[in-house]
Amino acid sequence: MSVESEAEDRPWQVRASVIVVAIVVVAALLGFVVLPVVQGRSAGVDAFSAICRALGLQAGSPAVRQPVSATRAEPVSLVAWTEEVIARLHNPNEENGSDLAANICASCHGADGVSPDPAFPHMAGQSAFAIYKQLHDFKNGARGNEIMASVVEQLDDEQMADIAAHFAYFTKGALDPTTPVTNDPAIVRLVERGITARGLPACASCHGAHAGGPIETPTLAGQRHEYLAAQLRAFAKGERRNDIYHRMRDIATKLTDSEIEELAAYYAGIGLYQRIK
Amino acid sequence: MAVSESDILRSEVRWAMIVGVAVAVIFAAVIYTGIELHVNPPSNIETIDPKALHLSNEFTESNLGTRVEPEGRITTRIVATQFAFDPPCVVVPANEPVTLRLTTPDVIHGILVTGTNVNTMIVPGYVAQVHTVFTKTGDLLMPCHEYCGLGHSQMWATVRVVPRESFRPDAEGRVACD
Repeated sequence: MSVESEAEDRPWQVRASVIVVAIVVVAALLGFVVLPVVQGRSAGVDAFSAICRALGLQAGSPAVRQPVSATRAEPVSLVAWTEEVIARLHNPNEENGSDLAANICASCHGADGVSPDPAFPHMAGQSAFAIYKQLHDFKNGARGNEIMASVVEQLDDEQMADIAAHFAYFTKGALDPTTPVTNDPAIVRLVERGITARGLPACASCHGAHAGGPIETPTLAGQRHEYLAAQLRAFAKGERRNDIYHRMRDIATKLTDSEIEELAAYYAGIGLYQRIK
Repeated sequence: MAVSESDILRSEVRWAMIVGVAVAVIFAAVIYTGIELHVNPPSNIETIDPKALHLSNEFTESNLGTRVEPEGRITTRIVATQFAFDPPCVVVPANEPVTLRLTTPDVIHGILVTGTNVNTMIVPGYVAQVHTVFTKTGDLLMPCHEYCGLGHSQMWATVRVVPRESFRPDAEGRVACD
């Protein structure tokens, strides 16, 4: 190593440090002074407040007066997934659930949750959250059905949770991808991929196993064809409206009648019910 | 062939200049978007209970969409949920200040409105608020731009910007698509 080369890059150690410090200073001035002050002007914020807000010293203070809403809530469902409700569904009173199910539900939905009548949905393997929400909605009138309203009238929240957990105890119908359930590739695409141009998310993005989506999303696999088609039509016509934030009403109105029939057939054809024990 | 110390130094200085230009371009882009396009970080911190969002007064279904508030301000309220916006289409007037208020009951979403400075994340538990003025009329695409689940790519809405004279609020001050 020669003495000359050491001398050659020594000034750059200083110059580089100066450049880096200059960049940091310029960035800080831009971020904490120039941009906040210029942008604050259009929001009617004075320079000092703008700098304080940029530094986080006035965090949370609204720059502009907030709009207020005097509208009163008109909820489509009164169910809120609080910790208590979720805990109850995870730790039900099993004995209570099976007694209530045998006495109240079995005559229409079957002792094992497999309904004998096409008009009544199967309950076996249904999500406890889905059953709980629907029972609650029947009781509060969020979902209109005279038979169910009179059945759930005497039930309290804990009893509904026990019944829901009881039926959820049965295994779900599992999708076996090697079993062709429809010959229409357009329906399979709608179920598995969705149609972006029509704003239709894939059915499976919520109704698939462990897919995500709202916690109250029901399992559709193996459900009654007639029931599924009737519910989609009820959502499309707005007769059923307990889907929070139009989730199903928006989708159902975009479906054609033949798509509704084919989707119902698709899901009705999936899987068989098996008891865990 | 031996490389001299001064060759290495020249090469280092050239690369440093390239880095310097890149930093300057980024600064220029930040200044341009911040001052000319009015893109700025959110200034409003407002919390809301996501579990009971549908039970809240402001974000109840019937209050979503665009409304001319009694004091004359135009507010558009939208709920982002897996995997749709409610309402899927909103109407706003051109060349008028509009306040967008968005929130979600489930997971993190985000929106941008194409060709405008509207771009925000929507985080459960918070109300995202954007003040803007739409200048171009027509149907603008508002996609979800924060991956929110399997239906994310089908999650989009329409912002219909109409001329002031076509913006006709009803008796309650509400304006909706169709």
